[in-house]
Amino acid sequence: MMLITGTVPIKDMPLTFGTVRAEGDYLIVDGQRIPCNQGTGAMVSAALATTDYLKLEAPQVLMAGDIGEGRGSREIYDYLIRNVAELVPEVLALHYWMPDIARTRQLCAAIENCAQRSVMIADAGSMYSAKAAGLATAFDIFTPDAAEVAFLADPDATHPAYIRFMVNTDEANTPELIKTAYENKNAARLLLVKGAIDYIVSNGEIVATVNEPDVRAMEAIGGTGDTITGLVSAFVYAGLEPHEAAIIAARTNRMAGRFAETTPATRVGQVIARFPEVFKKYLCEWSGVCATGGVE
Amino acid sequence: MAFMKRKKVAFEGGGLVLVSEVHEAMLAERILKKAGYQVRLVAPPPELRKGCDLAVEINLVEKPGIERILSQNDVAYVEVMPFKVGTPEILEIVRVTDFGEWVMVKAANMKLTFEKKSGVIVNTSGGGCPDIPHLHAGLLGRPLAEAPRPGDIGYTLCALMLDRALEESLTLHNGGEQP
Repeated sequence: MMLITGTVPIKDMPLTFGTVRAEGDYLIVDGQRIPCNQGTGAMVSAALATTDYLKLEAPQVLMAGDIGEGRGSREIYDYLIRNVAELVPEVLALHYWMPDIARTRQLCAAIENCAQRSVMIADAGSMYSAKAAGLATAFDIFTPDAAEVAFLADPDATHPAYIRFMVNTDEANTPELIKTAYENKNAARLLLVKGAIDYIVSNGEIVATVNEPDVRAMEAIGGTGDTITGLVSAFVYAGLEPHEAAIIAARTNRMAGRFAETTPATRVGQVIARFPEVFKKYLCEWSGVCATGGVE
Repeated sequence: MAFMKRKKVAFEGGGLVLVSEVHEAMLAERILKKAGYQVRLVAPPPELRKGCDLAVEINLVEKPGIERILSQNDVAYVEVMPFKVGTPEILEIVRVTDFGEWVMVKAANMKLTFEKKSGVIVNTSGGGCPDIPHLHAGLLGRPLAEAPRPGDIGYTLCALMLDRALEESLTLHNGGEQP
C-alpha cells in the first residue's frame, strides 16, 4: 500500500481515510470531494495519475480539513501514531500539515517499531517538522525547493522564514547548501531539490541533475512542486530505486509543463492533465517501465 | 477493572510569547488554550528575558494567528520570538522575477505572481503550512489591492511570508522600485 497523508483546505472536513479516485477536477475519498489545487490535492492527483497509468493499486489517503488552525493536522498525526503499525504502508508520503515537533517525534518512534519499514517521503510542512525535530535522517526522500534547502542547511532554523542563509539562496549556491544540510544531518537519504536545475542527491552526493526542458514559468505555478512529490512517491511504489524515481519525476513534471504550454498564469491541474501523455511518450525510454504493472 | 491512561502528547513549539508581567503570561496561556492552540507556560532563558519571569511557549509556525488573537484580546505581550538564542529575525529579503506579462515576487519560501497590466494575482506557490492552499484559492483572480491579506486571515509563518510578497507586489504595481 502507498499511503499519502496531508491536510486539505476545507474547513471542518473530518479525518478521512480511504482509496482515492478522480472525478473530473476533484478527488473523491470516502465520499469527500477534494479540489485538485495546490497542496496535498495536487500531490495526490499526480500520484494517482501515475498509479492509474501503471495499473497499480490507487493510493490510500489520510486527509483532514485544516485552513491553518492546526486541528486537522493534529488529527492526522494522532491517527498515524496510533495506527501506522497496523497499516504497514510500503510507501508513506507525508505532505502539508502544521509542523509539530513532538508529534513528529512520536510518529517516527511508532514507525521505528513497525515490523516492516516503510519508504518515508516528506515534503512541505512534514519536511519542516522532520527537520525541526532533528529527524531528517529517518526519512528516505525529501523534495525541497531552493529556499527550503537553505532551511535544511541552517542548523538552527525551525521554519524557512527564519533561515540565516538567505543571502546564499541564489540557486547557484544550491550545491553548497546541499553539502551543508548533509554535514548537519538535516537531510533525508535522498534529496530531490526543485529549481531551475533539479538536483538529485543520494547520501550527500549529487548523482544527477535535470534541467531540460527548461520551463521557467513552472516556478510560479502553485502545486508544481507538490506534483513532483506525488510522482516520485508513485514511482518508488512502482519499484524504482529512489534516485531513479526522482530523475523520472523531475523529467515528467517538466515535460508535462512543456506539453501544457505553461505560463505563470497556468493552473496545476492543466499540468497534471498532461502526465498520461508524457508517460505514453517517454516513460519506457526514461525508466524501463514499459508495460503496466510496475517496473520490468 | 483496568484503567487505560492515554499518554499525554509532549509539546515543543520552538517559539516564545514574551510578556512583562507574570499574570499577562497566564492570561495569554488561558486565551490561547481556549482558542485551541497548544501552548505551555515556561521560564524564558536568561538571554531572552525582557522584563519577564514567565513566558508562553508556542508553536512558532503559528505566530501570526497567535499574535492576532492576543491583540484581539488586548493581551500586552512584548514579543513573539524563536526559542533558540541566536536565531535571526524573520527574513526581510525579497526577490523579483520578470516573466514579461507577469511578475513573480518571492519572500523566503513563498511566491506570488501577478499580471503587470491588470494587477490581478494569477498564482501563488511555495510553502508547506496548512493555510497556504486555502490562501492560494482565496487570492487567485483577485486584484492585488482587493485581495485578502494573508497576514490578516492566515495563521502561519508561510502566510506571513506570502503577505510580505503581496505587500511588495502592491508597491511594484503602484510604481515602486524593485528591491
